[in-house]
Amino acid sequence: MTNSMNNTIERLKSIIRNLKVEEIDEREVKIEIKPEMVLNALSLLKGSGYSHLSIITAVDWIEENKFELVYILFSWNDGGKFIVSTKIDRKKAKFVTVKHLWPIARYYERELHEFFGISFEGNDDMRPLFLENWDDLPPLRKDFDPMEYSKKKFPDREYHKDVIHEAKVIRGDLNG
Amino acid sequence: MGEVKLFFGPNHPGMHGNFSVHMYVEGDTVERARPLPGFLHRGFEKLMERRLWYQNLALIPRICVPEPDINEVCYAMAIEKIAKIDVPERAQWIRMIILELARIASHMMSFPGIGGPLGLYTSSFWGVADRDRILDIFESLTGARIYHMFIVPGGVRKDLTPKIQDLIVKTLDYIEGRLPDYEDLIFKNRIVHTRLKGIALLDRETALELGVTGVGLRATGVPYDIRKVDPYLFYDKVDFEIPTATDGDAYSRVYLKYLEIYQSIKIIRQCLEKMPEGKVNVPLSEGSALRYKVPKGQAYVHIESTRGEYGYFMVSDGGEKPYRVAVRGASYPQTFIGVEKYLPGTRIEDVPIWLSTMDVCAPEVDR
Repeated sequence: MTNSMNNTIERLKSIIRNLKVEEIDEREVKIEIKPEMVLNALSLLKGSGYSHLSIITAVDWIEENKFELVYILFSWNDGGKFIVSTKIDRKKAKFVTVKHLWPIARYYERELHEFFGISFEGNDDMRPLFLENWDDLPPLRKDFDPMEYSKKKFPDREYHKDVIHEAKVIRGDLNG
Repeated sequence: MGEVKLFFGPNHPGMHGNFSVHMYVEGDTVERARPLPGFLHRGFEKLMERRLWYQNLALIPRICVPEPDINEVCYAMAIEKIAKIDVPERAQWIRMIILELARIASHMMSFPGIGGPLGLYTSSFWGVADRDRILDIFESLTGARIYHMFIVPGGVRKDLTPKIQDLIVKTLDYIEGRLPDYEDLIFKNRIVHTRLKGIALLDRETALELGVTGVGLRATGVPYDIRKVDPYLFYDKVDFEIPTATDGDAYSRVYLKYLEIYQSIKIIRQCLEKMPEGKVNVPLSEGSALRYKVPKGQAYVHIESTRGEYGYFMVSDGGEKPYRVAVRGASYPQTFIGVEKYLPGTRIEDVPIWLSTMDVCAPEVDR
């Protein structure tokens, strides 16, 4: 871990109790925090130089009945990456927006709403972004089965026997 | 005169892939713009969750068309980070060569990208023709021209033979000899100066606030490149510079890409020189690679693509398939907030230039 990352973690520890820190490699650290402390932690990290938001994404832990929200922050000064993760309830998938910290968060949140069904308080723009006329579960949830969906949406066509027979005649497999 | 709604795309020759913008135009100036993605959404992230670790290698290059190798490197590096696999040194140098060749090929494609909207078709033909020489190298090395599926977890598929190294050296010499012609054709051309200078401006604060990376950011005067700031592979062992400009306009972005080709050539030459002999891959597991399971863990890997920060966030639950893979498309910020907030004010004829030099790339945004 670099020095500035160590200092930042010390500062994080002063505002958050029971901080779970996992070092992935020398310039990448994952911290797990409770949902209510996420905004504080993100603003502190942004103020400490980790101001580039790489991505906001989610992981569906269906067995734990939780969604894990992941914010990845990067610093252009020392090349350090912080993976800030928090777990929210899967049934009441709701969180607060961070669009005031990073404008692009608005679109990441909109994407998460479309693909996971997580809504973000304070971000009203939740129109569909990539999918058109979607009528099933949000597709990146683990309980959504693409195979079943495509069978339902695009049922098998029925082929008439005589068409196949005709094709065989044309190909020369059968006579007349 | 009232406001007119104008549709740009989803098909346009000056763009990579299908992306649409709804523009509300008054006179010939864009008043409001709305990005409309989704025409290329193929559900890669879901598809990856349903395939074995090794099967995905055939799928991932298809996320990004002009520069597919970045996907292979990100995917392989993320697996290696989670599973703590030591990749042989020679394989890492070969990966760097592949990445830089892909960078040159992709930058060559940006000349057609800018030639189309300007009507400067010579640069389109030259760019595509010279890119083909790089594709020839890929073909003799991997058997494929566009989607190589060459970089695998644990190394690369095959070694660089002396014959292919010769071919690389010759091609680089050829391209280096050709580049002054491009300078004469594009960057000493008065029409290009009139059309590109002062167009599609993005200042430093805005670029940093939005999270724009790559040439879009470096054209505003900051030398931020992931190869230098957070070095991966052996980028800290080679000598190269980060070209920057201060104007933050379309012209400087195109010119930076041109200058980066020189740096890539420099890097590849050093790689060929410094590359040690040895193995090029390590077996992941005993027996079939298809049965390979990545241990439980998470990692984020990002690299500098031609369009900026390209990243993979990967989660493994120890199973046969990835639990979750999230892809960070490099041009995400400028495609959405950029089009919505900073495209207005542009004239209609400059919109293709704006989208092309901002590197709006639909396949990596839609995924």
